[in-house]
Amino acid sequence: MTEPRHQQTTEPSEAELIERAKLGDAVAFQALYDKHKRRVYSLCLRMTANTAEAEDLAQEAFLQLFRKIATFRGESAFSTWLHRLSVNVVLMHLRKKSLPVVSLEETTQGTEEDSPKRDFGADDIALAGSIDRMQLQRAVDNLPPGYRTIFVLHDIEGYEHNEIAKIAGCSIGNSKSQLHKARMKLRDLLKMNRAEKATKSRVG
Amino acid sequence: MNCVELHQSLAEVEDGGSVERLAHLRACPACSALVRDLNQIAAAASRLQAADEPSPRVWNSIEVALRQEGLIRLQRAGRPLITTFSRWGAARWLVPAAAMLLLALGISVRRELRPNPSAQQASVAVPVANPSDLNDDDLRQEIANNTPEIKTLYEENLRQVNDSIRDAQGVVDETPNDEDARRSLMDAYQQKAMLFELAMDHSAE
Repeated sequence: MTEPRHQQTTEPSEAELIERAKLGDAVAFQALYDKHKRRVYSLCLRMTANTAEAEDLAQEAFLQLFRKIATFRGESAFSTWLHRLSVNVVLMHLRKKSLPVVSLEETTQGTEEDSPKRDFGADDIALAGSIDRMQLQRAVDNLPPGYRTIFVLHDIEGYEHNEIAKIAGCSIGNSKSQLHKARMKLRDLLKMNRAEKATKSRVG
Repeated sequence: MNCVELHQSLAEVEDGGSVERLAHLRACPACSALVRDLNQIAAAASRLQAADEPSPRVWNSIEVALRQEGLIRLQRAGRPLITTFSRWGAARWLVPAAAMLLLALGISVRRELRPNPSAQQASVAVPVANPSDLNDDDLRQEIANNTPEIKTLYEENLRQVNDSIRDAQGVVDETPNDEDARRSLMDAYQQKAMLFELAMDHSAE
């Protein structure tokens, strides 16, 4: 009995997909999109806290990438290239909306509007237990845009402070300071959220 | 170190810290809880990466835009791509040759059918006996009416594919029995065939 002839089904590598996309292969474009869509979209969503805006920005990032794909030489990882491009697309969008990419608080002494409470040494309640992903996501969405940008880039996306300084156009010290304030603000938001839940459960 | 100094140091210190800092954290439950919370938030944040999926609308819009810009085209059902040829043995050499032949014929026929063809164009009918006779100027003529961006894209792809053919041919000449080298050459010809086909599609639009 002869074995049926099988067409080779090995999944093409990213390099192959890129080469095929350069030639206009729709399937390759879609495969590249499918491979990276979650990361790009999640980044956009975290930085804007708005699903419609995030989708528009993800679309813009991929479009820019595909328009430039013929120039991709493979010196750097494709994902790194796409990711950096996506960050730039979002930051440009935030700038156009006149939202501060980095909080102005650094240069505005004495304004504590968005700054977390400084309860030095106070016997406050700690965040007992693990942090729920959805709770954290909601808290990140509620951060002021300046804090959110730095927090997303550093703690979620894994950029170093020197990279963030270049991307966001701020100093390394500013990036560190903003990150710390963002984490403090998140802590406050998470604690408030837990306190509200505890109150509701007692009342209910 | 006191609580105020510890708070001031938090933005700078990523992990661990000085002996004084650690001593304060051991002695101060409030600061210890604060540092633990901040570390917990940072750790939980990494789990938010790539957690969400965009709606299908996003890809649909991208696809429409790329088609309008001429950067992608319909993939024909069942049309084999380069990677599917690798098990065809010796007969696979016929594929790029046949593809180039058909494309050459296609270009010639299309030229004959064009309204008001110039005498010069008619005389440039592509010889079909040898695929390598399909010269780059034929492709350039096919895309002559496209936008500068598209033409640049084709030129770049043409340069790359010619480089690939030249490199692969060099290796095949040196080691005629090298299966991988022959496969690379075949792939490169196939890429060029696809490029010509794309150019014809563009030209027809």
